[in-house]
Amino acid sequence: MPESHEHVITIRGLVNRFGSQVVHDDLQLDVRRDEILGVVGGSGTGKSVLLRSILGLHGPNEGRIEVLGQKIRYHEPGPHKQWGVLFQGGALLSGLTVQENVELPIALHSDLSVGMRRELAVLKIFMVGLDLNAAAKYPNELSGGMQKRASLARALSLEPKILFLDEPTAGLDPISASQFDQLVRYLGDNLDLTIVMITHDVDTLFGVCDRVAVLVNKGIIVDTVDEIVKHPDPWIQEYFGDPRAVRARRAAKAKVNT
Amino acid sequence: MNAFLTVEKQGGLLQVFLKDDWVFDNLNILQETLDNIIPETETQVKFSCGGLKNFDLAGAWVLYERSMDFEEIGVTTDFEGFRASHFKFLQHIIDIAATKEYVPGYFDPKPSHFVRNGIRKLGENTIEAVDSVGYIARAVLDGVKRPSRLVVGEIIRQVHATGAAAIPIVMTVCFLMGIVLAYQSARQLEQFGANIFMVDLVATSIFRELGVLLAAIMVAGRSGSAFAAALGTMKLTEEVDALRVMGLNPNQILIIPRVVGLMIALPVLTVFANIAGLAGGAFIGATVLDINWFSFTERLAETIDVNDVLVGLSKAPVFAFLIAVTGTLRGMQVKGSAEELGRLTTVAVVQSIFLIIVADAIFTVVYSRIGF
Repeated sequence: MPESHEHVITIRGLVNRFGSQVVHDDLQLDVRRDEILGVVGGSGTGKSVLLRSILGLHGPNEGRIEVLGQKIRYHEPGPHKQWGVLFQGGALLSGLTVQENVELPIALHSDLSVGMRRELAVLKIFMVGLDLNAAAKYPNELSGGMQKRASLARALSLEPKILFLDEPTAGLDPISASQFDQLVRYLGDNLDLTIVMITHDVDTLFGVCDRVAVLVNKGIIVDTVDEIVKHPDPWIQEYFGDPRAVRARRAAKAKVNT
Repeated sequence: MNAFLTVEKQGGLLQVFLKDDWVFDNLNILQETLDNIIPETETQVKFSCGGLKNFDLAGAWVLYERSMDFEEIGVTTDFEGFRASHFKFLQHIIDIAATKEYVPGYFDPKPSHFVRNGIRKLGENTIEAVDSVGYIARAVLDGVKRPSRLVVGEIIRQVHATGAAAIPIVMTVCFLMGIVLAYQSARQLEQFGANIFMVDLVATSIFRELGVLLAAIMVAGRSGSAFAAALGTMKLTEEVDALRVMGLNPNQILIIPRVVGLMIALPVLTVFANIAGLAGGAFIGATVLDINWFSFTERLAETIDVNDVLVGLSKAPVFAFLIAVTGTLRGMQVKGSAEELGRLTTVAVVQSIFLIIVADAIFTVVYSRIGF
């Protein structure tokens, strides 16, 4: 693969251990600008630990992580204004309305007037497919899918360069999940966004992602969706050989061809 | 003239060239700059982006909003020369604007009605209070009707967590209170040369009032809050619902063991509190007031009878009941948000201490009337 791509995230020699259990051993990863990268792996392979390491929420035992040229240190400020995160449960602040949740990062990181702040927040809320009705509600009054959308609006509120999604379609019904996939794809295409998402959803993987990173053997294997299925690793073969994965791949192909 | 745009007038056309970074970080200046463009005689404004470097949604949004302002006063606007990578942001805004409409008055603050809200709040609180009494009765009934083996283990755990674990802190506080009482009473009694009556004062107040009261207040702070927070979190994470679905009665599993456990623990704690309080008094007597251990115990035996001890101990189960019920009930009332959890935990502690003091006042009046 020619090194013509600009990398927004580089990880070198990442090691994560919990007691005697080694989760990552000398893991390397480069995330290219404007790509949508899906991260998959069996349970216990450290998908979440990887994400938390990148975000500075977990201190790895060894290794160097850079995001947009900035070195990430455990529990120290990272490029807050340039990344947005959609946590698995949404992690909306339950004491604030959706509108206030989306406004919060804008209020924290800028000196915009209240009016502008509100309208920018409304713009983001509209962008993720919610309306003002939903904006005025508290998170616990929304359905799971709407909470994820609201959380996505908050992640996008500061015009981030990188968007991290942790299992964005987990817990959604197939229709909501498919709509969410479309939304992510749309945002990826229409904003200058690099998207890194942890997902188990094979439909998401084939339908949305440009490349796939598979966590196996304490390391990571990255390739395009079409190439990764040919990789000889047994876990990858099992994962992508699963009937559901095969069907999802066919469906994604058919969609591209029509 | 400006870092972000240059303006050229060409007859009826106002040509605006955008430059540099039209991004979120510059939003305030961008807005200001755009507001300064005021067409005088021109009927057309053209935005073109020759020197535009970075562009994002926020930049596109201020531009679009301003163009809408122009349209409103009858000036036509046009966007030209945008590269595809830039125009997609603008297109995005136009798309959103086309499908959605702002609801007028969405941001207007809602008028507040002090009187109406006050009355409503009063009504809600009344209903809540009645509801609570019913809930407690129901929980107790559930516990009595179908006692389960699970509950016994849980009660023992609660006795340990609320009682045994609290012994050091309760004893320390009461020891210090004994010291304070001994000092303060000795200062008054010294004037009459009646130092020895310090023992009466310390022992009576510790046994009848302060031992149990301090223990109860400490427990309200420790365990009342723990009950509310634990049950509240369980409500938020649907653990309570999970119990219900498994056919277990949350009242029985969660509330009864805490209430019963605390009603066992607090009387025992009170005994420890009394001992520590007396020890504090005796310590000051021996070291400062020239009342040695022997005369202290002798005087104690003369002045205190078993009634004094029983008065204090009899209050303990009642206080325990109030603390445990308030804590668990407030915990079960949590729904929705983490903030609610914090609020109700505070309410649990404040209310249980309030109820303890009220109950103590009633006890004192009643006991003195019947001469107990």
